[in-house]
Amino acid sequence: MFRRIILTLLLVFSLGAQAEKKVLTVAAYPAVDAIVKAALPAWQQKHPDVDVKVVAREYADHHTAMTTALATSSNLPDVMAVEYGYLGRFAMSGGLEDLAKPPYLAHQYRDQFVAFAFAQGGTSAGTAGGTGGQSAIPTDIGPGTLFYRKDILDKAGLQESDLTSSWDAYIASGKKIKSTTGAYLLAHARDLKDILIRANVPAGEGVYFDAQGKCVVATSPRFKIAFEQAKAVRGAGLDAKIGAWSNEWGEAFKRGNVASQMMGAWLGGHLSNWLAPQTKGLWRSAPLPGGINAAWGGTFFAIPARAVNKELAWDLIRHLTLNKEQQLAAFRQHDAFPALKAAQSGPFFEQPIEFLGGQKARLLWRDTSLAIRPTAVFKHDPIAEEIVNAELDLVLTRDKPIADALKDAGAMIDRRARR
Amino acid sequence: MTGTDIGQRPIGPIGVLTLTMGAVMMLAPFYFMFVFATHTRSEIFSMPPPLWFGEAFLQNLDILRAKIPLWRNLGWSVYVGLMSTALTLLFCAMGGYAFAVYEFRFKRALFGIVMATMLIPSFLGMIPSFLIMDFLGWIDQPRALYIPGAAPAMGIFLMRQYILSAIPRELIEAARMDGCNEFRIFRSVVLPLLGPVFGTLGLITFISSWNNFIGPLVVMRSVEMYTFPLALRSVQSPVDTEWGALMAGSAIAVLPLLVLFVFSSRRLIAGLTAGAVRG
Amino acid sequence: MLKASVPYLFLSPFFLLFGIFGIFPIVFSFVLMFQQWDPVQGMGAMQFVGLENIRFTLEDPWVWKSLGNTFWLAIASGLPQHLVAVPLAYLINEKLQGSRNALMGAYFLPYITSTVAIAMMFTTLFSTDYGLVNALLEALQQWPLPSWLIPQEHIDWLGTPETVKPVIALVVFWRYLGFNLILYVAALQSIPRELYEAARMDGAREWRIFWSITLPHLRPMMMFSMTLSVIGGLQLFEEPFILTGGKGGVEQAGMTTAMYMYRTAFEFNDFGLASAMSWLLFLMIAVATWLTNRAFGSQQESI
Repeated sequence: MFRRIILTLLLVFSLGAQAEKKVLTVAAYPAVDAIVKAALPAWQQKHPDVDVKVVAREYADHHTAMTTALATSSNLPDVMAVEYGYLGRFAMSGGLEDLAKPPYLAHQYRDQFVAFAFAQGGTSAGTAGGTGGQSAIPTDIGPGTLFYRKDILDKAGLQESDLTSSWDAYIASGKKIKSTTGAYLLAHARDLKDILIRANVPAGEGVYFDAQGKCVVATSPRFKIAFEQAKAVRGAGLDAKIGAWSNEWGEAFKRGNVASQMMGAWLGGHLSNWLAPQTKGLWRSAPLPGGINAAWGGTFFAIPARAVNKELAWDLIRHLTLNKEQQLAAFRQHDAFPALKAAQSGPFFEQPIEFLGGQKARLLWRDTSLAIRPTAVFKHDPIAEEIVNAELDLVLTRDKPIADALKDAGAMIDRRARR
Repeated sequence: MTGTDIGQRPIGPIGVLTLTMGAVMMLAPFYFMFVFATHTRSEIFSMPPPLWFGEAFLQNLDILRAKIPLWRNLGWSVYVGLMSTALTLLFCAMGGYAFAVYEFRFKRALFGIVMATMLIPSFLGMIPSFLIMDFLGWIDQPRALYIPGAAPAMGIFLMRQYILSAIPRELIEAARMDGCNEFRIFRSVVLPLLGPVFGTLGLITFISSWNNFIGPLVVMRSVEMYTFPLALRSVQSPVDTEWGALMAGSAIAVLPLLVLFVFSSRRLIAGLTAGAVRG
Repeated sequence: MLKASVPYLFLSPFFLLFGIFGIFPIVFSFVLMFQQWDPVQGMGAMQFVGLENIRFTLEDPWVWKSLGNTFWLAIASGLPQHLVAVPLAYLINEKLQGSRNALMGAYFLPYITSTVAIAMMFTTLFSTDYGLVNALLEALQQWPLPSWLIPQEHIDWLGTPETVKPVIALVVFWRYLGFNLILYVAALQSIPRELYEAARMDGAREWRIFWSITLPHLRPMMMFSMTLSVIGGLQLFEEPFILTGGKGGVEQAGMTTAMYMYRTAFEFNDFGLASAMSWLLFLMIAVATWLTNRAFGSQQESI
């Protein structure tokens, strides 16, 4: 009798062990975690024996945790969400699985994605010193656009083309807006600088460094123009000196103190939901002035080289990025603009957006996204950005001559980049 | 008792005014945290911000509950806090006592080492700490949070200073002459007199454990095991934070600390050194 | 025989924990100072570079700037804390026993308020165009005060290098005053009441009592909390971080050394350099602590 009990128990345990589920770990940050969780039911129907654990952390915390995990090759997730700003560093680290190789062969999907986004996830032409591999697959992007207040423009007697035909026209319009309505043109002169240094970056080069990794801040005309225009804007009193995402920034939108804002298309959703819902119908979305096409952020999925369940991870990533319904659902619920070209059409895209006065802005954003060109990313981009911002501050607040500022910036960056 | 000992002059009206203004300034952000917890994100993000309570508290709680298992996270925070406090009080009392009362070889050097450990900034130790936890198999376990820091140098230092100033040598000598062994003395004579400093150190330790999110960030792998501040942070997005829900969470997070403060401040004040006051 | 080992036994928990959890990170960090390491590339990517990191740190203008900021902030925020906390503790203990708990509670609240709430509060308060502080200053313009005292325009508190440091100092003062208050009140409990009674019966004035009886007894606690303020002040990270949005402010006016270290490690991905900086800071703190000890340690406990 006793022996029978033992045998039965052993049998039950062994069966239980066989039926043990696999656990797939996904590490992400808001709102990507919500997007992943929403996509799970459909995926789990095809994989009922797999448990998916989504580990959500705050944006910076997540990347810190991923840095730690990559540093120690331990505690790595199977699927890692990486934001555009961190992609360069992670991609070049060698800690991410090369998805161009078998069994993934990611390049077969290349044409299904918006060109620049896919290139940005690669370790070749999209980044410096590459090997032709693919570190990450894009899932959403932030096509850049100029949001502007139509009512303020009307009051100043201006048209959209006055803002967008060229940068000089943009600034001239700003002066007119200031004198007739008192509103600022933009939130901070730095925003203008940020855009202008990204304009017309030659292929294969980065924003701050050329293809050989040499710093171009002191030599490239882009920086000179960017600094000059920023100074002009500050000198004419056209910027509100407000940092983005602060209370003041939100308040400026509510009160109509700032006439335009350049940012990713997803800002529209925020404005409408909580930043300035009362200003419904007053905003429009336009292409960036001067014919520039740029992106603000974007999310990518990668698989760590030392992850445990790589095939399952790849399957989930494909579900999240190649599935048209999935991408559209993410767009609808979380304003995650699809990186998948197939998802960039259909009734949702043709829909007029009420907040923007009935404008069919999604079509505009799609056209922008297709025209964006990838820029190479370098390890020292973050410190270069910091140094350039510091010098810009000196130019704007201390009247430091631009030539000196750029020279100093170049020298400091060279010093750091030597390492 | 202290209650009747007032001193010669009561404090003047200017003093009262200053103290009250000071107290108001201390209170204001705290007050606003609770007010914001009852408003929606859109209401908060405006100038002037709302000054009185709103009606969105339950709504905020729902948002929060949908994102994180908040009661579970709170539970972990409480558990880790209590364990941390209990261990710290004991170990630091022991260490502080040793430095305050005994003379022994290497005393200066050892105290120097203890002090030195206070000076090291914490976040560079993240990666090596992680390696240790991984090696010990303590990843995703609460003990990784309260054991490493269970004898903080700061606590030993505090205990030492307090014992030096509040426990007269005569008391200890008397007990020795009575034939008690050292551990007996520590347990029966000294420990009971540490009321105020236990209240203080306990409070500080619990708060510091409660607010620590770097530890759990490195060590925990699943949201169910997060402590509360980390869980709350995970709700923050670079552009999309639910401020109302975040404030509601922060308000909840602070309540246990308030309770603890009330509890320990009574110990602190009432823990009179009646026994130590001898001629 | 047994007697001699007793102190060591009492100290054993600390040294055991330190041995297991404390030594390795210190050694790791020390070794890291001589390496170039981008953590994302994994453990194997460490490259020995000798004294390069140290040299770079000593030559980096931002390091010295951040050290200057750090020392300024440590003193500007630390000194007022103690100058206010000590007399305040005395007053609360002697004169206001009735409302003692309530007052202590009120002053302690900032210490337990979450950093998110604090960030929101103070950035709102000091906002250039919509903040309460500027609104008050504007209201003061109505009063007959000399114009050099009251600024004519809205001050960009957090965006101007000269003003961001005082604001940070204010926030730190606000946050930790209550903490020190609690410590001092706890210490005051241990002063025998008979001393006070005797002095009062002798007709001594309040100020004399404070100076001759209270202060000497407070010395050990003062040394403790001053040391803590020195160490905490020199390691200041959280308050400048949240008030400058993690960036350090215009002209790095708000960037402390700890913050620069953090950014070097996690934003610029250079752990070796961050390590060198942390050891430099460690040296500074060690010296400052030693000086504090000399100033406040009494003969009884010369270490």
